[in-house]
Amino acid sequence: MGRKAKFDETKKVKKGPGRKAKKQPDPVFKKELLADDKEDKKLSHRQKQRAARRLKKKKELTEKRKALKEAKKKPEKDTEEAVSALDDETPQGFTDDNKEWLKPKKKGLGKLKEIEAHSDESDDEGLGEDENDASSKDDDDSEQEFKDTKKSSKENYKVGTLDDLFNDTDDEQDETLDNEETGDSNKSYNSDSSDDSDNSKDDEDEDMLPIEKANVKLKQKQKLDKKLADEEMQLNIAKQDVFAFPSEEELQNPTSLQDVHQRVKDIVSVLNDFNRLKEEGRSRCEYTELLLKDLCLYYSYNEFLMEVLMQIFPVQELIEFLEASEVSRPITIRTNSLKTRRRDLAQALINRGVNLDPVGKWSKVGLVVYSSTVPVGATPEYLAGHYILQGASSFLPVMALAPQENERILDMCAAPGGKASHIAAIMKNTGSLFANDANKERTKAIVGNFHRLGVVNAIICNYDGRQFPDVIKGFDRVLLDAPCTGTGVIAKDPSVKTTKDQKDIQRCFNLQRQLLLAAIDCCNAKSSTGGYIVYSTCSILPEENEWVVNYALKRRNVKLVPTGLDFGTEGFQKYRHHRFHPSLKLTRRFYPHTHNMDGFFVAKLKKFSNVIPEPFKDEDDEEAGQENENSESKEAEQNGDDPEDQKKTLQTGVKRTAKPNTSQPKEKKQKTDDSTQPTTNGNAESKNNQKTKKQKNKRKNKKGQKNEGQGNQTKQEDKTIEETKQTIKQNTQQDPKTIGKAKIEKSNEEKVQTKSVVVDKANENTQPNGGISSGSPKKKNKKKNKNKNKTNVQDQINKNANKITDNIEISAAKKLKNNNKKQKQIGQLNNKKDKPTVETTKQNTQQDIETKGKAKIEITNKEKVQTKPVGVDKVNGNINKPNILPSNESSGMSPKKNNKKKNKNKNNTNTNIQNPINKNENKITDKLEIAAAKKLKNNNKKQKQIGKLNSKKGGKEGIKKNLNKTKAKG
Amino acid sequence: MDLVNEILEREQQKADKYKPITVEKHLDVEFDIGTLVAFDTNDLDSKLMKSEKDRDSYLESLTRDNTQLLLNKIWELSTERIDEAIVVRLPQPTTVMPRAKPVPKPKPLTKWQEFAKAKGITKTKKSKLEWDEQLQKWVPLYGFKKAAAEKEKNWLIPVPQNLDPMTDMYEKKASEKSEKVAKNELQRLKNIARARKVKIPRVGIPITSDKASSTQLATATSVAKASTASLGKFQDKLPKEKDARGKGVHELIPGKERKRKLPVPTPAAEKENNLSIIDRILKKRPKIDMEKAVSKHIHEEQVQRSEEKRSMKPMKGKPKGKGNATNFSAKKPKGGRGQRNPNKKNPGRKRR
Amino acid sequence: MKILSEDRTRLLFEKLTKYIGVNVKLLIDRPDGTYCFREKKDRVYYISERLLQLAHTVKPDHLISAGTCFGKFTKTNKFRLHITALTYIAPYAPYKLWVKPSSEQQFLYGHHVIKSGLGRITENTPKNQGVVILTMSDIPIGFGVTSRSTTDCRHADPLATIAFHQADIGEYIRSEDTLV
Repeated sequence: MGRKAKFDETKKVKKGPGRKAKKQPDPVFKKELLADDKEDKKLSHRQKQRAARRLKKKKELTEKRKALKEAKKKPEKDTEEAVSALDDETPQGFTDDNKEWLKPKKKGLGKLKEIEAHSDESDDEGLGEDENDASSKDDDDSEQEFKDTKKSSKENYKVGTLDDLFNDTDDEQDETLDNEETGDSNKSYNSDSSDDSDNSKDDEDEDMLPIEKANVKLKQKQKLDKKLADEEMQLNIAKQDVFAFPSEEELQNPTSLQDVHQRVKDIVSVLNDFNRLKEEGRSRCEYTELLLKDLCLYYSYNEFLMEVLMQIFPVQELIEFLEASEVSRPITIRTNSLKTRRRDLAQALINRGVNLDPVGKWSKVGLVVYSSTVPVGATPEYLAGHYILQGASSFLPVMALAPQENERILDMCAAPGGKASHIAAIMKNTGSLFANDANKERTKAIVGNFHRLGVVNAIICNYDGRQFPDVIKGFDRVLLDAPCTGTGVIAKDPSVKTTKDQKDIQRCFNLQRQLLLAAIDCCNAKSSTGGYIVYSTCSILPEENEWVVNYALKRRNVKLVPTGLDFGTEGFQKYRHHRFHPSLKLTRRFYPHTHNMDGFFVAKLKKFSNVIPEPFKDEDDEEAGQENENSESKEAEQNGDDPEDQKKTLQTGVKRTAKPNTSQPKEKKQKTDDSTQPTTNGNAESKNNQKTKKQKNKRKNKKGQKNEGQGNQTKQEDKTIEETKQTIKQNTQQDPKTIGKAKIEKSNEEKVQTKSVVVDKANENTQPNGGISSGSPKKKNKKKNKNKNKTNVQDQINKNANKITDNIEISAAKKLKNNNKKQKQIGQLNNKKDKPTVETTKQNTQQDIETKGKAKIEITNKEKVQTKPVGVDKVNGNINKPNILPSNESSGMSPKKNNKKKNKNKNNTNTNIQNPINKNENKITDKLEIAAAKKLKNNNKKQKQIGKLNSKKGGKEGIKKNLNKTKAKG
Repeated sequence: MDLVNEILEREQQKADKYKPITVEKHLDVEFDIGTLVAFDTNDLDSKLMKSEKDRDSYLESLTRDNTQLLLNKIWELSTERIDEAIVVRLPQPTTVMPRAKPVPKPKPLTKWQEFAKAKGITKTKKSKLEWDEQLQKWVPLYGFKKAAAEKEKNWLIPVPQNLDPMTDMYEKKASEKSEKVAKNELQRLKNIARARKVKIPRVGIPITSDKASSTQLATATSVAKASTASLGKFQDKLPKEKDARGKGVHELIPGKERKRKLPVPTPAAEKENNLSIIDRILKKRPKIDMEKAVSKHIHEEQVQRSEEKRSMKPMKGKPKGKGNATNFSAKKPKGGRGQRNPNKKNPGRKRR
Repeated sequence: MKILSEDRTRLLFEKLTKYIGVNVKLLIDRPDGTYCFREKKDRVYYISERLLQLAHTVKPDHLISAGTCFGKFTKTNKFRLHITALTYIAPYAPYKLWVKPSSEQQFLYGHHVIKSGLGRITENTPKNQGVVILTMSDIPIGFGVTSRSTTDCRHADPLATIAFHQADIGEYIRSEDTLV
């Protein structure tokens, strides 16, 4: 990425000023990776011949066997037919070579088995029968299977005892099957020793041929051996497995790393099945402590970091992570779509002797370099800016940001410019891009990279990110790739292992919080296309990720939206004692061991208001538990009114348990909605009592949610949109009105976007529906109301005039319940708007109001009051519209759809003329087939292609005069 | 009795005019007699302070009372009579009064003073008069009558052996003296410069006109050129002469206004400007470029020749392997070693 | 970011015309918006008017670069094109010179182009003409000044210099710190 090229391969490149500035080292490949290619090797001619011969031989064998069987069957009685079916079961204990002559004698055993463990084996029996009945063609397979089962059963002895070893590769099914089998076999052994079995054996002996007898004997002997071996093994395992807790001296002078490694393995196995394998009198703590120490020793981490990591990962995953952090990720490069296409680049690089592949389906510009005969960071293509060395994880935040053309975008911590140039490439050099970095030295790298890559729409500046809002605001999108401890990129910088401690992390996340707030301040919520902030780090610590985002959620008017990345693990909602906002599920984490890219975190935020809310009173973040409780409840409240995005998460998250209960009291609550007593009471209590607060809030949330839910459902069932809107409005606005119409005031103000912080606060304190989030349904209403608000009121009044019988009410209530159970997304609901539905629910809500003893006149009055904000909406329509659109987009549709939409827009609005090469991009097909490029290696073809390209380019240069004059001469 | 009463009454009336010298105060007033200051820490009567009419009288009475107390305090001190006047010696003031102006900074030491301080040399006072053995009288160390004394003393100076006998010892002495004075002056100036932190060359003196740098000379010429009545408008330029540039040069040149930032033209205007500049540049270009003409001619010739060759070949109908199509028949065949065609690879040609 | 004085504009354009001839006009007169040249710390930037307005919000001390850097004015008041200008020069250059793959690396290390490394050259290239230098696969890798005209090239010695090196994209890593 603009680093100095490594011309001398033997020398290690000097490390840059920062972690990111480091050049990616040449790839080190795991053997597995290399082996992958060879797996499906084609057989040579001779091998094929041999295989054919083998097959033939086997066929013959099976024929023989069949013939033998037929012969046997004849003398046998009909009753024994069932027994014969079991024949296939028995050869398990034998090798293929012996099978032929061992086979006929197994009936007896099979019988035994059948008697004793018939039920367990039924599957296999069925299979065996099939084979017998069917022709011999399956014999091969069955043999194979036998082998497998045999092998697995062998393993099984291990597995049965050591099955908790984490590196066990068998999948569960096998395991269970194997277990059954072992249980089986054990039983059979027992039966062997018993007298009954002996008797039965004796009985059968009479029928047997001498060879069969010999077989039986041999088999018994084998069994005995096996049994003994098994017992011995069990003993060994018992000895080994109840892993001896090392003594003090042992701990003090560790013998070798191998021992430590072994011990780590053992402890992991113990921890996985603790109840069974623990040593008496040892607690889990002791084991984990020992594990911690051993891991620190083996992987050379400091204890603090290891402790933190242990809190993040379960033990097995931790080991995987640590292993993955030892090996570096393969080099990835990003095609610069401003200058070339991926296929062309791949072609060019393959010609230079670089072995590469597309990075994955998720990226159209990424390439993985497996091996290379030339330094990838110094090829003419690199220097000409056709690609940039960039870790695969670095694509993600930009993809999450999804920049659009002609936007104003800020990259706050841009050096060395990889992500920023990616943004510019996606924008196709339109709009404007601010690339900022606090380190002046590192801005040079940005300058170099941008010029190399042909980014011309960028302004590179050098500010402390925290001061950036003072410089310029109003960005459509902001990318904050915050400086972090780098715990995700330990492979790149192993010094992280030992150098980071609590203070470093604290320092980091303090800075990150400030930066994120600054980034949010820089963003413009009113932007028609954007208003998004993407926060990313190359750290995996929740302190630097979820906690920071959670902090921002509380302090600014932002909400989390899906990142648009269809892979990666979900962000944490709880970590140790912290309880984060449930929507943090929408963030994405990437780990080296699961995704084969650097550890990374991506969160996408949408800003929905430019107002900076007054800081919360629970400033002390150290008391995180308490604070989180509060925040959770608060945010949940907000969510309750914020249906589009967060309702779903809420329902799945916090509320899930209470759902069945809620359906019933919902009706009541809605009825009592107007009284507002529960809301105010709840608040008072929450202030007074910390413990009850949570519960209360939850209740409140439920209610809010219910209101929303009902509102939505009514929407679904109503014929016309306006009506539903009105009802929702009623639902949401009844509380505030009774409180003192503070809310209407507030909502007005919010719409006008004046800074009414005091009112905001008042709303937050007094009313559970939350000042901020309550705006969103209204906003939605606004949009829809714009056209029809006048008729709306009339409709409403007319509807009110309708008297509805109790029956209707009840039926409506039932419907509501059902709907609630279904828990449909609002996006879906919206889609179904057109459906012909019953008006009852809407009327129902109105009747509720009536039953509460409120005069109709009052209601109409209210509606008049409501029309006021609507009027305001109309005036402010232009301003507010941008806010609404993206939120609908992002929530209503799946992220993929979004992207598609955006892509379409891109194609339509592509009017970039400045760079002739850019034009070529239009021609880029959606599917880049590198494989095709490889085939094109043929020189003739290549030449032709290049020739074509040349002519195309030349045509576009717009200097035809000169071209005509000065034709290139061969 | 009447009279007595009358007198008493009059006295009473007189006494009524003055207030009593004892003053009752809730809290004692603090005094600093040395500076004649009294501090009254009692609260002001806020009600009176607020009322318009009573405020003044209230403050007046308060002031009077406190003044009375201060005077009482003064009278407590021991008094003495000097020239019919009663005088009091005030004690040392205890209150620290703020300065109106900042404390002057200490003068920076001269080089010698610094040195003396470092070495611990203290100044010894010399008497102004010195006894001169030769003249047998007191002679001042410097100043009035010192020169006369010198003259009297050195009416004759012997020329030392090692010197040129023709040296004028008086002149030498005078020059020594003047040099000493000059040195002293230089040191004085240096001290001042050091005190004001002026940069001066370590050795020697600031440059003068006789050893100026090229930039200085260039500046000087530029200034001189512009110093005409027409501000240098009609002055000729030397072939490669350039205007002096650099920091502070512009300001020296007369007639040149202080540089203002160029007004930023509108984008359209700027574009126009740029295009006009470009046009001028492009217009200038077409000169007769001998090189180009020659190469063009050569090229044409080559093209012509190659075309000839191409047209000749089929006519001859010979494989091109042997002989050159354009070869003169009169010449001896050279087996492909002769004139070479740069477009063709001749296998047999010797390489250098 | 200040506007270029007329003298400097002339110097800049003279230099540019050396490489792209009349096409300089295309740089100034663009259909997709107004673009202009601005100067900061003697560096000349080519930047769109719209972006320039935004760049003005950044204090000069904190502004590192905006738009594309074309080059700089030396202390002797000459204009020197930087490699960063290649983005704009390469597509407009009338005279081009292709180098063979074998001598690509040599050029990228800052050496002149010699006859043996010359792949092809635009016909009728005069002497001392600014040319863009490309690889045989048409990737622009720098620019230089011809030391011989096309016709002279034919008869030149294999080791003779054809074009003097002016700037090459190897500078991106050779001298990243002094690039701008």
